[in-house]
Amino acid sequence: MTPDNPTSAGDRTTASGIPLPPAAGPDDVTPGLDERLGRPGEFPFTRGIHPGMYRTRPWTIRQLAGFATAADTNKRYRMLLDRGATGINGVFDYPSLRAVGSDDPRAASDVGRGGVAVDVVDDFDDLFAGIPLDGVSVSLVSSQPVGAAPHLAMFLAAAERRGFSRAVLAGTSQNDFLMETAITIAPEALPPAASFRVECDVAEFCIRELPRWNPISVTGYNYREAGADAPLELALTLAHGRAAARELIGRGLAPEAALPKISFFLDAHADFFEEIAKFRAARRMWATFVRHDLGVDDAAAQKFRFHVQTSGVTMTARLPHLNIARSAVQALSAVLGGTQSLHVDAYDEALSIPSEHAALVALHTQHVLLWETGVADSVDPLGGSYLVEHLTDAMEERAGALIDRIEGMGGLVAATEEAWVHTELSKRAFADQQALEDGRRRVVGINAGLDDGTIGEETVEPFQLPPGALDAQRRRIDAVRARRDGGAVQAALEAVGSAATGGDNVMGPIGAAVAADATLGEIGTVLRDSLGRWHFPLW
Amino acid sequence: MVAKLGMDAHWRGVIVVAHALRDAGMEVVYLGHATTDQLVSAVVQEDPALVGLSSLSGNHLEECRAVLASLAEAGVEGVPVVIGGTIPPSDEPALAEMGISAVFGSGSPLRTIVGRIAELLDD
Repeated sequence: MTPDNPTSAGDRTTASGIPLPPAAGPDDVTPGLDERLGRPGEFPFTRGIHPGMYRTRPWTIRQLAGFATAADTNKRYRMLLDRGATGINGVFDYPSLRAVGSDDPRAASDVGRGGVAVDVVDDFDDLFAGIPLDGVSVSLVSSQPVGAAPHLAMFLAAAERRGFSRAVLAGTSQNDFLMETAITIAPEALPPAASFRVECDVAEFCIRELPRWNPISVTGYNYREAGADAPLELALTLAHGRAAARELIGRGLAPEAALPKISFFLDAHADFFEEIAKFRAARRMWATFVRHDLGVDDAAAQKFRFHVQTSGVTMTARLPHLNIARSAVQALSAVLGGTQSLHVDAYDEALSIPSEHAALVALHTQHVLLWETGVADSVDPLGGSYLVEHLTDAMEERAGALIDRIEGMGGLVAATEEAWVHTELSKRAFADQQALEDGRRRVVGINAGLDDGTIGEETVEPFQLPPGALDAQRRRIDAVRARRDGGAVQAALEAVGSAATGGDNVMGPIGAAVAADATLGEIGTVLRDSLGRWHFPLW
Repeated sequence: MVAKLGMDAHWRGVIVVAHALRDAGMEVVYLGHATTDQLVSAVVQEDPALVGLSSLSGNHLEECRAVLASLAEAGVEGVPVVIGGTIPPSDEPALAEMGISAVFGSGSPLRTIVGRIAELLDD
């Protein structure tokens, strides 16, 4: 694509710059395709992790939700389940993600924003009230390990109070050190090695205690949204998976027990075929790593299981209803790429968190895909497409080169400490914006089409948060502090600190601190005090 | 001088804009996350020509109100404050009324942002 004339018939590339043949043919596919594909449900799983894919197991409809208080969010969860969602995808507000209390002055303007506010175990009672935790799987978007550890402990305490045993609880903790140290910023974050260690503490605990829990969901989605292109998203995701796999095996866990617990989360961005190629390449690359590098032959350990979210950064505030079309096409790429679960972004994504209407349109977009289009009836329908196979190979090659580079630096934790990750992301984010500015990348309503900027009806009312979350959380924290045994809390928090500095798994002491009614903010503070604070380099 | 306030997590936009301002020949100080007090003391110390805030979490009304009040309290005058991010257009009048000099919502082109900031610096 030339800068001067994006519609010229000249050279074209994918969004990440992979040259595109005008009409791919047999010559564009390297010999040996059968071996690179395998059969669905078999190594290297390029065609999918199950033989029958959606015929036997439809993807999980898992729409993200969370705002204001636990009671407010519980209503939204239940509405989504009542209307046909098949799993919960719960996001926490900015302070809660970082284990900062709602009563911290820095948190005041963000309590209940972008997710639900949680401070004490009672919040988890309210969050999941009336939801059968033995029947519905729960994804906790606890992206930062500093928050993921106490969130999980609070979730378990609340679930056990309701009589659900650890054996029946199914779900996921996002729990990704890169989220804490490179992808999202916070006033204070744990240093990369410490955050990774807490991540693996959570994972080790879950592998031993929670048979149906995915303790890590490597969030390639957010790597992408922060600026990565498709190959970098894939490389960072797999490099992270590699680091976690090696660490958990190094802790003495059996690979057959540990590896099936590492799950992944990818973006469905705008470039349709490149995204499908990325999903397919991800499966093959992970399976190949597990078999050849780790020497593990167990099929469950080789399966790259992932969730997909459509791309928030591609949503526009102008002409927001066009986002319904964008999301639907992106969601289709995820389905054709063989995802295990899916969130479709709402059309008001660029304006606010989803209104009820926008959330339902997004939810039912999944039903349109699943029930109306026939795309769930055939496994890997694009397998064998000259173009898609060509791109799948190219994606593997480009992401593979980046992984080699990361491993050459000593792995992803080291690459994060050296700010390589931050630099690569911000470089690409800036280049992407420049491509939009000079017209190489076109977005309808921003720099292309619809010159008068209107399609008749174009404003949507941004969702207004229910008021009062901050006061409600402060009252709740006060009530818990009044009822608990202060000395016991202090001792429990000290035990968390000792485990953190001494190198023992922090999950046991965090569970005990939650049982003593410690707050999320108190646990976060003790982890930061013990493990250190890192201000990551961005400028 | 650019900063993020509160606990908002998103840095992509603010870094891209800071990069564009620097490419346009401006000297940019990026504070990262700052509390209102930290920002105001940095402003008092560094005496920037303009303050740019970034918010994608929905905290813009509260944070802008607090920053403007604290700047006034510290006796800072004549430093325009602008904000960019996920700001619903319906909030723009309220931000203008409290004294925010420009709002760059989702989809604002860099040339618009850089151009408007250059104008404010010329004023």
